[in-house]
Amino acid sequence: MNTGLINTWLIIKREYLERVRTRSFLVLTLLLPAIMAGAFIIPAKLSSMKSAKAQRLVVVTSTPQFGEIVRQQLVAGDKTDDEKAGADTGKDIEKDKDIGEDNEPSRNYSIEVDPNPSDAERTVLRNRVNAGDIDGYLWLSDDAVAARKVTYYGRQAGGFMEKSWLIGQLDNAILMQELAQRGVTGTQAGALLKPVKLETIRVEAGRETKGSGQAMFFAVFAMVMLLYTAVIFYGVSVMRAVLEEKNSRVMEVLLSSATSTELMAGKLIGVGAVGLTQIGIWIVMAAVYAFPALAASVSLGEIRIPPLTLAAFALFFLLGYLLYSSVYAAIGAVITSEQEGQQLQFIILLPLIISVFMMGPVMRAPDAPVAVWTSMVPFFSPVLMYLRIAVQTPPVWQIALSLLLLVATIAGFLFLCARIYRIGILMYGKRPTLPEILKWLKYAKGL
Amino acid sequence: MDVPVNTVELSKIRKSYDEFVAVDDLSLIIRPGEVYGLLGPNGAGKTSTLRMMIGITVPDSGVVSLFGEPLRRAHMQRLGYLPEERGLYKKMKVLDQLVFLGQLKGLSGHDAAQRALQWCERLGLKDWTDKKVEELSKGMQQKVQFIGALVHDPQFVVMDEPFSGLDPSSALVLKDAFLELKTVGKTLLFSTHRMDTAERLCDSICLINHGRAVLEGDLAKIRTGYGKRNVQIKYEGDSQFLHNAKLVQSFNDYGNYVEVRLASGADPQELLRAAAAGARLSKFELMEPSLEEIFIEAVGKANA
Repeated sequence: MNTGLINTWLIIKREYLERVRTRSFLVLTLLLPAIMAGAFIIPAKLSSMKSAKAQRLVVVTSTPQFGEIVRQQLVAGDKTDDEKAGADTGKDIEKDKDIGEDNEPSRNYSIEVDPNPSDAERTVLRNRVNAGDIDGYLWLSDDAVAARKVTYYGRQAGGFMEKSWLIGQLDNAILMQELAQRGVTGTQAGALLKPVKLETIRVEAGRETKGSGQAMFFAVFAMVMLLYTAVIFYGVSVMRAVLEEKNSRVMEVLLSSATSTELMAGKLIGVGAVGLTQIGIWIVMAAVYAFPALAASVSLGEIRIPPLTLAAFALFFLLGYLLYSSVYAAIGAVITSEQEGQQLQFIILLPLIISVFMMGPVMRAPDAPVAVWTSMVPFFSPVLMYLRIAVQTPPVWQIALSLLLLVATIAGFLFLCARIYRIGILMYGKRPTLPEILKWLKYAKGL
Repeated sequence: MDVPVNTVELSKIRKSYDEFVAVDDLSLIIRPGEVYGLLGPNGAGKTSTLRMMIGITVPDSGVVSLFGEPLRRAHMQRLGYLPEERGLYKKMKVLDQLVFLGQLKGLSGHDAAQRALQWCERLGLKDWTDKKVEELSKGMQQKVQFIGALVHDPQFVVMDEPFSGLDPSSALVLKDAFLELKTVGKTLLFSTHRMDTAERLCDSICLINHGRAVLEGDLAKIRTGYGKRNVQIKYEGDSQFLHNAKLVQSFNDYGNYVEVRLASGADPQELLRAAAAGARLSKFELMEPSLEEIFIEAVGKANA
């Protein structure tokens, strides 16, 4: 191995080990999942515990037969299993069961039909609600049903999800009642009301791949979030690492052994690897937690991310992370204090934010010229080219070109900031102006 | 092959930052095995010269040669550098730090650890190898830095102001360790603005002022060249002889004795007679000029 590679490796190793061994790394690694668990898992558990208790509702209608249909809709409607869909009376509302919607609280109702929609009965029911005897009542007088304007009285007005679900079930009940009146049997009505299920099949490399739009959206969204988090969290630590070395003036010792390019590359990769380690630990923790659900979804074929997309994810995430970190490194080389760096933060994140805005247009027309060319731009390609790969495999030359540009830009930034760093550290005092930096680059020729 | 290769040859190197010329047409030669002092007041261009000599910066013009060849990367492993502004990783443990520095210089991890431990024992840091650098006193940190420059057993040791800011006992320990390197054949170069330190330690010197070499070469020869123009006199009585402009160019009264600089062309014997005429002398000694005086005179000449 040549000296340059050995030195870079030594610097990577030092940066990595010195950071991973710190107590703050350990604390953050454990604390973040704990906070996430506190923020998401516990409330979800609590809400599912709460709705496990049956809601007691009274359905008030002058037609007992209709009341019975409503009761069936509300009681059976909470068990939306595929196998029940055909056999049952068609009151099944097919739920889209992609991940993300799995956490909907299960509904559990006990329904009582009251065939007496009178004002006196209303008072009685109101008192029962007050006394906590029932949770609420649905007022389905003939007029109200005819006008499709019904009222729910209850102690809780009910959440958005609950309300739209209720509307759907009532729509179905009214339709079935109308159909029954016109002589359509329950089974026939079920067949009529069976909702449409859309399955999307992607054609990729001549093969058909099953995959839902949600899974794809999820895959892209995960990329954006992960990249964004990694850049915000760890890009700054690359900047801080460069700055720290400048301020502690260790680099003069190091520069008598290693070149500034080796130093910068070592820092970038070493500090970057710390971030990846932490993210990796979190992903493993999340996967272990979510494993049963995940395995079930995968085996049911509901999540199907093609291997190419997975590979693209890993590659574009790594390169995007390196690119943004190298910009942070360059800033670290120029500035003299962390406060100055904070002012520049927004500029770094801007391209990432722009590429999030570009996601919509690119997703709609992945091979339009705008999409093709923006996905070549190094600062956008980690999100946009990856998005195009996930939506519709672009020509190989386009993928190759965007990767090439990405790698070249990273190398360019590394080269540039190695130079700035080298001169910058040996000059003292204030932050340099742009013309000064350009002049430094000239000084640094041949180093 | 009997002629040993010069450790360092600088020929007409120049470095400017914007308008400011830090080093101007500087040439010097450092021979193997000698102790070489780079002297000059603060801001004279000593650090800039050292940095160019070991490849941290590159001169605008001129040639730097190490071990007989133009400076290249492989030379880095054969030299040890102690920068003026000390820098260590504060959160890193002493031994880890020294091993890291040693490995960058091409040692194996095992060798680096072994040598670092030997040095730590020698400089009294044995019980501190497992501590973080920030837990050490300033003097101990200096020692760690010192070891960092020497752990790979370099042929050529470059130290920028090595003894400044140290308490006397630490300075003594480091100075002994430093001079001992000479006995095992290392070439030592250090910069200082303290003429007295240089006077005691150096074989050869280069005096720099405003980026230019004012004097360069073998210290003993330089001094002889300036002749015995100084007289130390201890006396009681009339001090009238000190004001004889024909004999005395200037004098410094140090309380216990007076140091007199002879006027040019003056005969020391005449001064002796003149002094003895009015005062009782307990000491009258002809001296070589101190480095400080040589420096002042040389700078005066250069400016004239």
